[in-house]
Amino acid sequence: MANPNETPTIASHLHACGVSRRSFLQLCTALMVTAPVGLSLTSKASAEEIAQVIGKARRPSVIWLHFQDCTGCSETLLRTSRPDVADLILNVISLDYHETLMAASGHQAEDALKQAVSDNLGKFVLVVEGSIPTKDQGQYMKLAGRPALEVLRDVGRKSAAVIAMGSCASWGGVPSADPNPTGAQGVDSILTEKPVVNLPGCPTNPYNLLAVVLEYATMGRLPALDQYNRPKFAYDRVIHDHCPRRAHFDAGRFAREFGDEGHRQGWCLYKLGCKGPVTHAACSTRPFNEIPDVWPIGIGAPCVGCTEKAVAFRVPIFDTVDIHAATPPEALPLVHTPVGTIGTAAAAMVGAIAGGIGGAALMASKRLPDGGTAAHVTAGSSLDSTPQRPKGE
Amino acid sequence: MIDRWERDVPVFDVPIWTKPFAVTCGLGILALGLVTYRELAGLGPASGMNDAYAWGIWKTFNTMVLTGLGSGAFSVGIAAWLFRRHRLHVVLRTAMLTSFLAYLSGLMLLGIDVGRPWNFYWILTPWRWNLHSPLLEVALCMPVYAMVPLLLENVPPVLDWIYDKRPQYRPWVMRAEKIMVRFYPFIVGLAYILPAMHQSSLGALMLLAGDRVNPLWQTPWLPLLYLWAAAYMGFACVAGTLLFCSLMWKRPLDLDVLTEMNRLTAGLIASWLLFRFADIVFSGKLGLALEWNIYSGLFWVEYLFLSTSVFMLLDSSKRRDARLIFHGYIVAAVGGMLYRWDPTTLAFQPRPGAFYFPTPIELLISVGFVSLAIAAFIFLAKVLPILPAPLRLWRRMEEERKTVQDTATTAQFAAAD
Amino acid sequence: MAITRRDVLKTLTTGTAVAATTGTALSGVTHAEEQVAPPPAAVGMLYDATRCIGCQSCVAACAEANQLQPDTRLDPLHQAPRDLNYTTKNIIKLYKPTDGKSYSYVKQQCMHCVDPACVAGCMFKGLKKDPHTGVVTWNSQLCVGCRYCEISCPYHIPKFQWEGFNPKIVKCELCKERLAVGQQPACTSVCPAQAVIFGTRAELLAEAKRRIQQNPGKYYQDRIYGEHEGGGTQVLYLSRVPFEKLGLPELSQESIPAKYLKWQKRVYSYLAVPVVLYASIVGVIRNNWKDHQEHVQEEAKKTGVRAQL
Repeated sequence: MANPNETPTIASHLHACGVSRRSFLQLCTALMVTAPVGLSLTSKASAEEIAQVIGKARRPSVIWLHFQDCTGCSETLLRTSRPDVADLILNVISLDYHETLMAASGHQAEDALKQAVSDNLGKFVLVVEGSIPTKDQGQYMKLAGRPALEVLRDVGRKSAAVIAMGSCASWGGVPSADPNPTGAQGVDSILTEKPVVNLPGCPTNPYNLLAVVLEYATMGRLPALDQYNRPKFAYDRVIHDHCPRRAHFDAGRFAREFGDEGHRQGWCLYKLGCKGPVTHAACSTRPFNEIPDVWPIGIGAPCVGCTEKAVAFRVPIFDTVDIHAATPPEALPLVHTPVGTIGTAAAAMVGAIAGGIGGAALMASKRLPDGGTAAHVTAGSSLDSTPQRPKGE
Repeated sequence: MIDRWERDVPVFDVPIWTKPFAVTCGLGILALGLVTYRELAGLGPASGMNDAYAWGIWKTFNTMVLTGLGSGAFSVGIAAWLFRRHRLHVVLRTAMLTSFLAYLSGLMLLGIDVGRPWNFYWILTPWRWNLHSPLLEVALCMPVYAMVPLLLENVPPVLDWIYDKRPQYRPWVMRAEKIMVRFYPFIVGLAYILPAMHQSSLGALMLLAGDRVNPLWQTPWLPLLYLWAAAYMGFACVAGTLLFCSLMWKRPLDLDVLTEMNRLTAGLIASWLLFRFADIVFSGKLGLALEWNIYSGLFWVEYLFLSTSVFMLLDSSKRRDARLIFHGYIVAAVGGMLYRWDPTTLAFQPRPGAFYFPTPIELLISVGFVSLAIAAFIFLAKVLPILPAPLRLWRRMEEERKTVQDTATTAQFAAAD
Repeated sequence: MAITRRDVLKTLTTGTAVAATTGTALSGVTHAEEQVAPPPAAVGMLYDATRCIGCQSCVAACAEANQLQPDTRLDPLHQAPRDLNYTTKNIIKLYKPTDGKSYSYVKQQCMHCVDPACVAGCMFKGLKKDPHTGVVTWNSQLCVGCRYCEISCPYHIPKFQWEGFNPKIVKCELCKERLAVGQQPACTSVCPAQAVIFGTRAELLAEAKRRIQQNPGKYYQDRIYGEHEGGGTQVLYLSRVPFEKLGLPELSQESIPAKYLKWQKRVYSYLAVPVVLYASIVGVIRNNWKDHQEHVQEEAKKTGVRAQL
């Protein structure tokens, strides 16, 4: 599929394929709209800018390996339309090996993998779907006779970056559930020296993959990752913090049984065991199948925490989880709320009253004679006490 | 100063409408107008009271503190009647009138302060009473006291007025006086037991606030201390009124009577100070009093005022110094008022972050009602025989009246001619 | 003055009367000293601050169940009360220490004390404690609006409606209408974290003790607030941080009325002391009255002016 001599830019490739500039711009608009916030790609102001950036980019080569998987993550990728999958795999990326989508099979397929790897040595992006069995020398999954462990190490060594698509590839997923008979593990515990981007989910929202690939293709770098190597733009918040049913939680409106009044009204599913409070994912903001509200909670099924290693396939689906906020909200009042103020007018009035009374008392006391006897009192004054001569005499 | 007070004489030589009277009347009417606003708008807009300081200056100052000042009828009366201080009988009418007006003013403001006064009729239904409540005791006892014994004690001056000004009713007056004489001891007895009950219950009010009253004031002896304080505050108010009125209306002073009052007041204050201090020491609160903060400061300010007043009163008695007496009583009154007011507001710490300051309307209503009482006193002192004076003043009044009558008769005859 | 037989008789009678009165009053001691016990069917709530997540569903539910207007004074779009007030019977507050780490929420509402100070102070029993369930309720027909309850309550719960000319005293009444039809109070029925639960006081105490036992060292002083404080309350608290930080004062085990109104009750029991005092006062006055009257009549004769009563 790829020209071994020169990897053309996306723009030139599209031109060669006969795709009009208009269609290409439409693609760029779609990318701008649907790509998640938090990517440097989406900080571009217009489709033209994106077109410019993408146009100059080389179509990255992508090799997609399947191990202990259900192919659900590929299926979810097929259910995107902006851009159309065909557009995606033919024009934006160069999907050089994908067991489900490619036409080749048997020896042809083995050759295709060898060819793809050698043609793009050190430059391709490896996408892994499914967990890798490690027990008993990894014999529980073999690809063309070779253990998955070996294949991963071999191909992974030669890649530029690794994306672990889905919970199985990220931390083991379903195959790793108790008692984990095959020793299933995620990619990053095997390929320890390569940069691995984990996109957990069962399945992951396909736009997470799209965004990471595009970011890498256009900007040449991977998006910011958290401590579990998950891109922050999709996994930094728990579902509980951006759930459309949060208002019901806050008001204490819970569905208590499937099909009851509250369930029909679309109330919070916390009491039915929703793991939203402890699950980092972006499902509430990017619906599956591109239909609004198509995600578990949206259709009335409590979240099972499929992205989280500690939750999915470990905590029973209908068990409620503890909710802990990292920091308490600022909006709550403190234990002792201040109350009462002093007004300037009131303070002035008190001063005036005190002054008035004090002044009157002072004035009065000044007029009172001090320590004197009658000798100090002048005749006829207010406090003269000498007997008056009666009138008329 | 060698004059003696021998009987009570109205202030006949001063016109009724003077500037002070007009001013106090004006303030009173303003207050009444503002009360209408308070009734319509509610307590919040009219006052600075809030949920932390639910009692503002109306209840705490006008009712709890000023009725303490208005306990002159109680304390001076007890000194005169129970302890046979004969000299004090002549100032009893002043004491009773000041008390009556102080109580009326305080009770009216209590009625204005409550939020749902239309429910007060339950006071008439004993089965609804919560007998444990100190406030019920106050609400029951104070109106009964003001309307029965205190009112009756203030009837004699009115009878005197009728006797003088409406001679046609003299036989009724004589009859009324005969009845009064028969029942006077019982009325007077009520006039002492009732204030003893409610002045101490006023102190008991703050008991329920428990720890939130600063420990320097909170004590099981609070009712007794309040009652005792009312006793000397009453003296201070009566003596201060006498001094002030004699000054404004140019009446002679009787230093013997005043000296007697000084000694009694000083004794009451001194013993009160000792008792309070003993209570502080024996309940281990002396350490608190010696700390350096605003509450210990208040405590010592109270002590400063009251102990200073003791020395002033005793010293002035020796020197027969009217000015010093006046100052002494003012200082005593201020100290007493401060003591009775502190546990309700300044030393009341409901919770951190709480503060209270009255609003201008609140202050005006409070001052206005006090003005009303003062205006009433001014008016009644001029019309009724209340203030004590030497006998010659009475004779002068009679003479002037006769002169006026003669002139009028002469004029009549002249006109008839 | 020579002592007459009359004087002796009077002194003896007065003395006996005083002794009898004091005895009667002090006999009221045994009654006054008895600690009030919670009523038999006492119900209440247990609030565990370690479980509370500060979601405020209880605040919203309380406002709805009690048909209270939202307090939008600070924020016109949201119900954001700063404190309990005339339109807020239940509130969640935040204790935020300076180190920012050991924060805690606290739910504030009426504690429904076993021996409430507000009930003791209310003049006409406007605040009443139900003799069976122990719920403290307010009756608008009996309340005078004197706000003595606000002064007495150590938890600052009753709130007066400061605006308008028909003010009320507002406080949590444990959703007495809901209790009457067998439902739980609104706040306990919506709490998602089961931080506040409803039950009889005995059940709640047992549950709280169980939690303390199963989690040694988790709760402050391994203590249930309200078990004994202030004579006991029917709303109990468990917390990780000191109770004082949550606005719960450290009170003695004696209830406020028992501790502070002891002497009032004794002195006024059966009105014995006042009546005896009155009788003695009248006796003394009558004695002095005669002397005074004589003196006054003499003066009147001497001066020729009518005596003043």
